[in-house]
Amino acid sequence: MTPTPHRRLAALLALTALLAFVSGAGLDAPAALPAGAVLLIAVFAQPGEAMSRALEPVWRVLALLLALRAGFIVLVGGGDAVLPMVDLLLLLLCAESLRPRDRAGDARHFALTFALLIASAAYRPGPAFALLFILYVACATVLLVVGHLRRQSELRRLHAPQPTPRFMLRIALSSTIVLAVSALVFLFFPRVSRGWAARGAPTVARSIVGFSDRVSLGDHGARIESNPEVVLRIEFPEGPPADPAGLYWRGRSYNRFDGVAWSRVEHAPTPPFELRWTGGSIEQVIYGRRLVDVSVLFGLHPVADITPLSRIRPLRLPSGDFAYAGTAEPVYRVTSRAQLPDPAALRGSLIGNTPDVVAHLQLPPLTPRMLALADSFRAASSSAYDQALAIERWLSTRFDYTLDLPRTAREATLDYFLFERRAGHCEYFSTALAVLLRAGGVPARNVNGFLGGEWNGFGRFLTVTQNQAHSWVEVYFPGHGWVPFDPTPAGGAATAASARVRSFAGLRRLADGLSHRWGKWVLDYDIGTQSGLLERLAEPFSTTDAGGGTDRAIARRWYVLGMAVILVVVAVSLRRVRRRPQRTAAPTRAYIALRRAYARAGYDISAATPPLALADLVRDAPGAQSARAAIELYVSSRFGGRTLDEAEQGRLEQLVRAARQRLREHRGRGSVGERIRR
Amino acid sequence: MSETAHRGRSARNPTISDIWSRVRRALRPPRRLRLLRPGIWVIVGTLALGFATLNTGNNLLYLLTGALLGTIALSGWLSESMLREVSVRRTIPLAVTAGEPVRIEYRITTGSARPSVHALEIREIIGSSHALSASPEVVSAYLHQLEPGSTGVARAQFCARRRGVYRLDGLTLATSFPFGLFSKERDLECRDSLTVWPRTDRVVRAPAPAGRQARRARIAERAGAGTGRGDYRGLREYRPGDDPRDIHWRSTARRGELITREYEQDAADEYWIVLDHGAPDETSGEAAVETAAALIVGAARRGDRCGLAAAGVRIPPGAAAGTAEAFLDVLSSVELSVDAPRPAPPARPAMCLLVTARGPDSQAWGDVYLVARDP
Repeated sequence: MTPTPHRRLAALLALTALLAFVSGAGLDAPAALPAGAVLLIAVFAQPGEAMSRALEPVWRVLALLLALRAGFIVLVGGGDAVLPMVDLLLLLLCAESLRPRDRAGDARHFALTFALLIASAAYRPGPAFALLFILYVACATVLLVVGHLRRQSELRRLHAPQPTPRFMLRIALSSTIVLAVSALVFLFFPRVSRGWAARGAPTVARSIVGFSDRVSLGDHGARIESNPEVVLRIEFPEGPPADPAGLYWRGRSYNRFDGVAWSRVEHAPTPPFELRWTGGSIEQVIYGRRLVDVSVLFGLHPVADITPLSRIRPLRLPSGDFAYAGTAEPVYRVTSRAQLPDPAALRGSLIGNTPDVVAHLQLPPLTPRMLALADSFRAASSSAYDQALAIERWLSTRFDYTLDLPRTAREATLDYFLFERRAGHCEYFSTALAVLLRAGGVPARNVNGFLGGEWNGFGRFLTVTQNQAHSWVEVYFPGHGWVPFDPTPAGGAATAASARVRSFAGLRRLADGLSHRWGKWVLDYDIGTQSGLLERLAEPFSTTDAGGGTDRAIARRWYVLGMAVILVVVAVSLRRVRRRPQRTAAPTRAYIALRRAYARAGYDISAATPPLALADLVRDAPGAQSARAAIELYVSSRFGGRTLDEAEQGRLEQLVRAARQRLREHRGRGSVGERIRR
Repeated sequence: MSETAHRGRSARNPTISDIWSRVRRALRPPRRLRLLRPGIWVIVGTLALGFATLNTGNNLLYLLTGALLGTIALSGWLSESMLREVSVRRTIPLAVTAGEPVRIEYRITTGSARPSVHALEIREIIGSSHALSASPEVVSAYLHQLEPGSTGVARAQFCARRRGVYRLDGLTLATSFPFGLFSKERDLECRDSLTVWPRTDRVVRAPAPAGRQARRARIAERAGAGTGRGDYRGLREYRPGDDPRDIHWRSTARRGELITREYEQDAADEYWIVLDHGAPDETSGEAAVETAAALIVGAARRGDRCGLAAAGVRIPPGAAAGTAEAFLDVLSSVELSVDAPRPAPPARPAMCLLVTARGPDSQAWGDVYLVARDP
């Protein structure tokens, strides 16, 4: 049976709600796929009466089973109630979509689909939710209106004509009011809490380099998979950086290498010399994601300070790394020093043998040729800094970068990398540099993080993906702190991104920008963002801030202009709305005033009384002469095809006034004042 | 048929109660809002969701709460645009017989700048100013759709069970468009009245006033084989139902209106119907009124010239206003009572028919219709 447009719309509404749910929770609810199929069928075909009746017991039994399951999971299993409830909801929705319509049908349908939307709010749906929400509101508005009209006709046993597409389109457009109110409530309703921990927030898969306590070099197999998943989005409040590709997003450092894996051992911490670096600072607002490995915060080296912007608590570790406590998605502001120390100063730095230096000279047993190699670099360099530079240059120019992993455990060793394979991924390069430096008496450590990122001009932020995971080395210079060196050949990290991913770069950037804005302005919109928005709205009118006077004046001018435009638009549309279909001509207005005056005085006159009959009716009334003359003038203008000139119009109005005056005089004290109702 | 636009006024001098009701109307808010069952659910749902939203701080719930509030706002806006700038003109018959359904017609016009109107209900309370009439009755008409700038017609059916003058003070435009959450109502002042005549279908014998039979015999005797209508009496203005052959064309031409000849026997056919207002109970009293009405209709059908004396009004036979409609109008407003004074015959009692529910008095009435209480 082909469904009516009304039923089709109902099925579409249910599909939209289901998609909105799936955009957040994915296919976690077991019923999502079958329900989607049933609803899709309902859009194109409806069961007949007999079939619907046959299906009815099936729905009941299934609903009972799912309700029992939900109850069991919640009461006995102590599990999450949302998914079982969604399963039940989807079943009811399918039953509703395939059931012959009755009067309460639309209301039930709306309630079920809205409940599904509420359920999807428990997750973190992507920006597609916004589109589906708009579609849902439009669909629901049309469905409810059409259903209401149909019910009204049924109640009166009238045949209701099918709504025209034009009518449905107009109703759909009027749903912009719903969206506007929704947006206003969303933006300006005071937030009392800060953020919301959604369920099912996806964590990022394991990256190319790890951030856990132990990072192994010995992985072997086929090839490191390209992974374009976004891990960091970084905004620069002070303006975009000149070279985003050269930014090292430092995550975690490792100070102990056992020949196969790097790990972290806490011992004598190095003094935070980095914080004394001069040359300004650079601010970053970082929207991170929870990583599988560990809760680590990223930032440009050296990080001077971290301020949390979401419900996390940053912790500064003795190594200078930052971790955090809390389950929310980390959003934080990082202040970093902008410039490295002067190379001349670093060349003059004496390494010494303080405990903090010794702690970073630990080495696993090395092969003789590795030790010889380290010695050769030491002998050729006059300072630790030059030694680091020389090894860095040697590795980055003589070795190749590859994502192919070593095939066997033997091939996975550092020795094999340095002398046989001479190709590898970033971890091999950084480990080689660190080990060769340590073997040459220079304290060094391995650092994992991300390199570069992709500048998103649409969203004005830097996107860092898994593909940009990187590993490099920090060398310790007493008095100056840890200075980064990167021995990986140039472009090495970039090759991680596959050609397939790059071909849709523009589209991806747009999607990523949307996703970032959605997260920032919708999902994570909180009291801080709200007050920021209000402050920004009020900024042009604030008088407290002394600086930026010209900017504020310009902004204020735009504001006034904008408000003026809005006022004009509102006034014009109100005028359009209030405008009478045709403006009554002046003589007619005068005549109507006259007619009303006599009607109010108690003469049996209605709007249907013809003018000459009116003149006849009031022939003995006070002011009859004036009235007669006025009516003749009016009739000559209205029906005689004559346009009254100004003098005649004036005379007509004067006559009407005179007649009304006479009427008033006649009625004396008890008269009811003239009130012309509109 | 009478037509009343909603801005029309009744042709009465305003009394204090009128002024008071006008003041009350002026003070009344322009719209009334009635919460319907789905509306209650939506409001309760919005409050619950709002509470959940504040409690969890979930941003998408703010969006959904806003959508529910937006739905309420859209409902208010659309329903307002259904009622604004809508004018209604009511058409009702001037009079109608009790027990006979009457269709009240509403011509609804919308402004051309408005969106089309949907699901508009017109309700009105029809109450009787007459003490005997039943309690006020609500009639309603429904208009499914009306394009902007056009006029549509909606009809309501009304069946007055009792005679009387029914007042139509004003009507109410109501709509539960677009979602059926609320019913928004707007009152329009639109006064009119509907006269409900008594039933005229009572079976009554043809009247035979004693005086008339005597006179008729005398005239017939004098006229012999002539016209059979007696002597020529004079000229009078033409009334509907008169024989066109009696029109006196010369006088008609002179006076500019139709003039007809009148013969002696025409005058001999004259009689009066006198209604006794006294009745032991309401049912028999009403039966008397209905009998009088049936007599009037019968007389009109036969072309009898009769007069009526009832409700303190005497309409002599042959008066300009002496149509059956005018008689029925009078009967519709007759007030009955147990101890009403006996009616006095307006002419020679022999020429009068008495219609009474409490038996004849000592007068020598030409004919008496004693109405017994219906079994």
